Amino acid sequence: MTLTSPSSGIATGPAPEPAPEAGGAQAAVRRPSRLRAVAFTIGRKLIAAIVVLWGAATVAFFAQLALPGDRATVILNIRDGQAQLRTPAELAPIRAEYGLSHPVIVQYWDYLRGLLVGDFGVSYQQFRPVTAIIGEQLGATVILSLTAIFFAWILMTVWVTLTAGRGPRVRGIGALVDVVAAGLPAYWLGIILLLVFALGLRWFPVIGGTGVDGLILPALTLAIPLAGFMAQSTRTEFERALDQPFVISARMRGMGDWDVRIRHVLRHATIPAVTLSGWALGATLSGAVVVESIFSRPGIGSVLVAAVNSQDLPVVVGIVTLVAVFYVTVNLLVDIAYTLIDPRLKAS
Amino acid sequence: MRLSRISLATVALVSALTLTACAATTASSTGAAVDGGTIVYAHQQEPACVFGGWIEQAYLSYQVLDNLVSLDANHKVVPWLATSWKSSTDGLTWTFTLKKGVKFTDGTPVDAAAVAYNFDYWLKGGNSTAAVWLGGYYQSAKAVSATTLQVNLSKPYPRLVDNLTQGYFGIQSEHALTTRTKDQNCASPIGSGAFIVKKWNRGQDIVLTRNNKYTSWPANALHTGPAHVKVIDWKFVADPTTRVAALQAGQVNAIYDVPAVQWKTLKTSGFQLDRYVTPGRPQQISFNTQLGPFTDEKLRQAFAYSLNRKQIVDTIGQGIIPSEGNGGVSQATPGYSKKAADWYSYNPSKANALLDAAGWTGRTSAGVRTKDGKPLTVILPYGAGSIINADGAAILQGVKEQASKVGFDVTLIPVPQSELFAGKYGTPQDHDISVGYWTAVTAGILYINWRPSTASNPNYSNSAYYNNPELEGYILGGNSAPTVAAQNADYEKAQNYIAQHALAIGVYDRLSTLAVSPKLKDVWQEHAQGGPTFYDAYFTK
Repeated sequence: MTLTSPSSGIATGPAPEPAPEAGGAQAAVRRPSRLRAVAFTIGRKLIAAIVVLWGAATVAFFAQLALPGDRATVILNIRDGQAQLRTPAELAPIRAEYGLSHPVIVQYWDYLRGLLVGDFGVSYQQFRPVTAIIGEQLGATVILSLTAIFFAWILMTVWVTLTAGRGPRVRGIGALVDVVAAGLPAYWLGIILLLVFALGLRWFPVIGGTGVDGLILPALTLAIPLAGFMAQSTRTEFERALDQPFVISARMRGMGDWDVRIRHVLRHATIPAVTLSGWALGATLSGAVVVESIFSRPGIGSVLVAAVNSQDLPVVVGIVTLVAVFYVTVNLLVDIAYTLIDPRLKAS
Repeated sequence: MRLSRISLATVALVSALTLTACAATTASSTGAAVDGGTIVYAHQQEPACVFGGWIEQAYLSYQVLDNLVSLDANHKVVPWLATSWKSSTDGLTWTFTLKKGVKFTDGTPVDAAAVAYNFDYWLKGGNSTAAVWLGGYYQSAKAVSATTLQVNLSKPYPRLVDNLTQGYFGIQSEHALTTRTKDQNCASPIGSGAFIVKKWNRGQDIVLTRNNKYTSWPANALHTGPAHVKVIDWKFVADPTTRVAALQAGQVNAIYDVPAVQWKTLKTSGFQLDRYVTPGRPQQISFNTQLGPFTDEKLRQAFAYSLNRKQIVDTIGQGIIPSEGNGGVSQATPGYSKKAADWYSYNPSKANALLDAAGWTGRTSAGVRTKDGKPLTVILPYGAGSIINADGAAILQGVKEQASKVGFDVTLIPVPQSELFAGKYGTPQDHDISVGYWTAVTAGILYINWRPSTASNPNYSNSAYYNNPELEGYILGGNSAPTVAAQNADYEKAQNYIAQHALAIGVYDRLSTLAVSPKLKDVWQEHAQGGPTFYDAYFTK
């Protein structure tokens, strides 16, 4: 059996089981090089991650500074519920407390130094460390995101397996549903789901909270467009895989259509969706901003909206940096998962 | 064809489900009172701290802190922590007698020293809205005895006690303020109120539990002793449709800020609906009198005549939002001038004549008036979602449409909270019209909004940038006049002056609205700011 290289673009399917002796010897030879490859990948990614995090934190910091108006004024006005200018005497204590009268470069340097030791600063409005604020809200958002990705995988897998590679009409409907689902805006879908399943049928609570029953609709709101998006790329791969020689070979061995689809083709076709899942975590974290608001769920999305509105810079930058950390970490994990799932990459 | 049928079917299904849900919600109560229980209440905005200078904070801190005095339904100041009060003949010294034996929930006594500390705390940044009210009048506060508090003023202010009924003047434990962290006092201030902050799940709710040792209810409460219910789950639900849906689904017992369009549906379904017209500055338009076209009084008057404000407000507000002609104070404010409110009725011919007389005789192809080739474009920024809600934004759109008929080109700029509160559009250089409200219990709000701004003592709340000693004189006269009749006479003169010179015109009155489940009784809106009062509330079977 000759294994093809990934660059050849010709997949021959999973390798047949080698003889026990030969397999053991191959694994012994191959394992150190695979470990080295993974370690090299992780090392490279870690360096890139530090650069990405520094970039994200820097952009977030200066984007906040670029907002019109004066930060001390907004801090005081939000505390008082008034939108007006303030006298220097009123602002002096706030400027002193948060070091706002220092040159921007000094503020930036202080901020970076804080980040290095894990100190994200103190919220201007809540008087609490940003790490405490994020820590308390993160769980709800991560659970929402992961549940949404899980739902998206189920929806996508079932739908693509059912409809891909069928007759022209079923394929057409399948692809159309993918496109429509991918284009559904969360604010619209969320309200429709809320209206039908919470208010109308009373299957779910209107105000979600953190309970399991309050998680389903928000997660579906994020999952349906995501499933549509993932299905688009999976479908193409699925249909291409159906034409591959290993499928013909499996059929010739007498394997039924469902067996072929689920055991051979699906595994092959989901590689793009795995890659997309890394992106999806970031996308669902961003989508949480809208969904948490519609379903009145706690989470970093709603905290971020409030913080941007009140120019609570430490909180905004803290959340942006955190999302960047997630992106980087998950992409790293996806890269590793990718090498594990794809037999061609294993071989390399 | 098939798709459109599916869409129609979906719309029909959704409508049917909604109607079914609406019809199914009105469980009738048997009327028998239940002791205990949890009130689940959905409010629209989450403040950063429980106590502070924002009305959203006042609503919340009102459940936890007691004030010296309370306001009853007839706008009479009645005892709360103070049993009586009097001012000296020169009006400069106020003496408050406090209830005996009242304790904060940390066990320290509510005595005159603690209350005196609170006055200084507000002035030193503890609550800058309270500071604005006391500024220019307050001098010092001291404990004469454990139950006697003396407040010294620099000028007489007979309506001082009226102002002290607002939530900004809630009394906190001095011990807590001086020994706990800012964070602790922000999230769970210690008062002597009917409820105690138990837990704040940020982004979700605040859980308040009953103060079982409560002894200091206000004189206008409906009962005595601790609250009937054990817990208030004060949820934050920003979206109004979700709030209404949650109430209809029975998931919450009361909601704040009912959209005008849902008012009748809820009423028909048996929910208790309460509406509080906020006294103080109404949602009004004030003109930039320092720079731009509105430095010309004729143009300000023309703008006022070009609008049929009642028609716009009645159309958008569905009869729930009251229209307001007075640009100084709302119709719920004592000393309100009807004359000022009626100064400008809808009269486009007069508006056109005034614009012609002011020299704005040219027209662009779009119908905008011009003078020396310059179009009559005016900038109107507004705080979208913060100062002006969705109904208010629709009303401003109506203002733009009507003003355009006589040749004004009104540019509406929705300003996000982060920009507006950073002071953008806070100077005469960047806008021609400003809109906004300021809640108050007396016409003393006029002093805050119209005190002349000077280099040494700027007043950024003077949104018309109008500095006039005659107007200031009327307001100061009203603030210090010895009798209510004399105060009101002066305040009315000030409002008439504002109307005559078209410095500001009213548009609509800010509302505070509640919808309450039929099973929950005796929820009422407190009379100083319209927030919900749950102290007397109880469930029925």
